[in-house]
Amino acid sequence: MLEIKPIFNALRRSKVGAILLFLQIALTTAVVSNAAFMINDHLSYLKEDTGFVQQEIFSFGLMTFGKDIDLHQQAERDEDMIRRIPGVIDAVFIQAVPLTGGGSSTSSHLRPPPEESKSLSLAYYYADEHTLDTFGVTLLEGRNFRPEEVVIGSDFDGHGPNTVIVSQAYAQEMFEGESALGKTIYVSSRPLEIIGVVETMKSPWPRGDRSSRTSIIPFINVQNFHRVMVRTEASERDSVMKVIEDKMLSQYDQRVIINIEGLEESKNSYDATDVLMMRMLMVLVVILVLVTALGILGLTQFNISKRTKQIGTRRALGARKSDIIRYFLVENAMICTVGLVIGSFAAFFLGRVLMNAYSINALEMQFVIGTAVGICVMSLLAVIVPAMRAANFSPSIATRSI
Amino acid sequence: MLTMHNVGKIYQTDSVQTHALRDFSLTVNEGEFIAVTGPSGSGKTTFLNIAGLLEPFTSGQYTLDGIDIGGLSDNQRADIRNQKIGYIFQGFNLIPDLNIYENVEVPLRYRGVPAKERKVRILECLEQVGLASRARHLPQQLSGGQQQRVAIARALAGKPRFLLADEPTGNLDTLMARQVMELLEEINQNGATIVMVTHDPELARRAPRNIQVVDGELADLTFYQGKPATPASAPEKSAHESVVGG
Repeated sequence: MLEIKPIFNALRRSKVGAILLFLQIALTTAVVSNAAFMINDHLSYLKEDTGFVQQEIFSFGLMTFGKDIDLHQQAERDEDMIRRIPGVIDAVFIQAVPLTGGGSSTSSHLRPPPEESKSLSLAYYYADEHTLDTFGVTLLEGRNFRPEEVVIGSDFDGHGPNTVIVSQAYAQEMFEGESALGKTIYVSSRPLEIIGVVETMKSPWPRGDRSSRTSIIPFINVQNFHRVMVRTEASERDSVMKVIEDKMLSQYDQRVIINIEGLEESKNSYDATDVLMMRMLMVLVVILVLVTALGILGLTQFNISKRTKQIGTRRALGARKSDIIRYFLVENAMICTVGLVIGSFAAFFLGRVLMNAYSINALEMQFVIGTAVGICVMSLLAVIVPAMRAANFSPSIATRSI
Repeated sequence: MLTMHNVGKIYQTDSVQTHALRDFSLTVNEGEFIAVTGPSGSGKTTFLNIAGLLEPFTSGQYTLDGIDIGGLSDNQRADIRNQKIGYIFQGFNLIPDLNIYENVEVPLRYRGVPAKERKVRILECLEQVGLASRARHLPQQLSGGQQQRVAIARALAGKPRFLLADEPTGNLDTLMARQVMELLEEINQNGATIVMVTHDPELARRAPRNIQVVDGELADLTFYQGKPATPASAPEKSAHESVVGG
C-alpha cells in the first residue's frame, strides 16, 4: 500500500518544503550531470594515447646569435653529435614540438586550389627521416622518408617537398575508408604524395577536432630559432637532459639553449588549466551532492519532528513500522521524481548552452541517467535513517501532549 | 472481551523507577461502556495505552478477545490495533494535511481494504456522525466538536469491537461534549465495547460502569443503573473490589 494519492495531496497542501527540495534536486541533477560529463570527457582525454613515447622524449629551443656559421650545416653536425650521446635513440630538428600548444596547421585539399574539392585542416611537423624514430610513432602502411626526399630550404611552394606521411585519423577522414597510400593531397598549392600512414600521432594541440589530423612533411628550414627533439632510453633521459646544454655549446657557443623539458612535462603543463578545472568541478559535484543530501536529511528530520504526533496516531491506527518507513520513502521518491524530471530537462538545456559557449561535446544521455540514479540512491540513504527512527516512535505518543 | 490480571507498568530511567500501574486486574465484557476516572497522573492513560496496545506492560497478563497480548510481535500488535480497536483521542489527532475523507481512510488503507469498499465505509461513517457533506474539508475548517466526530468516524470505519476514548470531550464545550457523548452511547447500543477515560464526573455518571484509578491501582468500582445516570439515582458504590466481573 503506497498511499501515493494521500501523500501527493498532503504535499500539495503543504508545499513550500517540497518545492525547495525538488528545486535543489533539479539544480543538482542539471549541474552534476554536466560536470560529470565534462570530468569524464577530460579523463578520457588524459587517458588518450598520443602516439609518442612521452617518457623517452625531451625537447629544447636553440637560439643562435652567431653570424659566422651555416645554420643547416651546423644543424646536421648537432644532430650527429646528439645521436652519438650514449643512451640517445634519435634526434631531430623540428619547427614545432607536439603536445605543447604551439605549432602549425594548414588547409589540405584533394584538388589543387582554387578547384573545389574536399578539404581538411592538417597540423604538420617540418622534419626529416629521423622523425618517426624520434617520435616513436607506429608506421601502419607505406615507408619512411628517404634522405633524398628531405628538402632543405625556405621556398615551400616553389622548391618544397613532394611527399608526406599522415596520421591514420587524417587518412580515414580524408579518404573515407579508402587506402590513402599513393594518393595526393595539396598543401597550399603544392602536391604531396602520401607515402606512409602512422597509427596515432597527436598534433601540437592534443585536444579537440584537429588533434588527430597530423602530418610530417620532409622540409627543413633552419632559422636562428629552432627546436630540437631528442629520444633516449627512458632511464637515460634525465641524464642526457643534464648534459645537452654543455654538449651543444661545445659544438658552437654563439647560441643559447632554452626550455629543456620532457615531453611528458610539456603535456602536463598544457593540461594544467584543464586539470585544475576538472578538480574544481569534482569539488563542486561533491559539495552539491552533500548539500542536497543534507537538504533531504534535514527536511525529513524536520517533517518527522513536525509530525511526531501524527506518526504516533498512524501507529495507533494500525500502521506497522514498515508502513511508516514506506510513507517517508514514497514521499521522498515523489519529490525526487519531480526534481529529477525537471533536472534532466535542465541538464540538457545547460549542456546545450555550454556546448554553444565553450564548444564542448553535447551532453550524453547516460550521464543524466547515471546522475539521476545516483541522486535517487543518495536521497534513499538520506531518508532511510530518519524514517527508521520515526518508525520506532511508540504509538503511545498519540495520547501524550507534545 | 478484555481481561487484565495483575498487570504492572514500570517506567525506568537511569535513577528513577516509576510504577505507573500496580497489579491492575480488570475484566471488561463485550458490549460494556466503562468510564475510567481518577486524578491526574493516577495511571488512567497508562491503563488506556496498555489496553489499546499502544505500549507494552511490564508484568502480569493481558488477554484481548481471547488473544494473549504479552507474546505478540510489534506487527501483530499493529494488526490488532488496526482490526479490533478504535481510538478516540482528546486532541482528535486528525492529520492536518489530509481532508476529512482521507483521515477516515487511514486505518482502512493500513488494513488493505479495497478502494470501492473503503469509499462505502467512509461515507457510511461520516453519515453516521453527520459530516458526509464535509468530506472534502480539511480538519482546520471544522469546529472542535466536528473534528471529534470525524475522529469517531475514523475509529468506527474499521468496525472495531473495542473502542477506547481518551478524554473525548476534554477539548469541547458543554453542548459539543453532550453531542459526542450521545454519539458514543449510540455506538455502544449498536454493540461496541467502550472504555472511556474522563475527568468529567457528569459524563462518567452516564456510563453504566465506572472504575477509578488512583496511584496506578484500581481503587473503586461503581455501577449506575439506567441512562442517563444521575448521582441521585445511582446505587450505592460496591465495596472496593479489585477484580471485577462485569
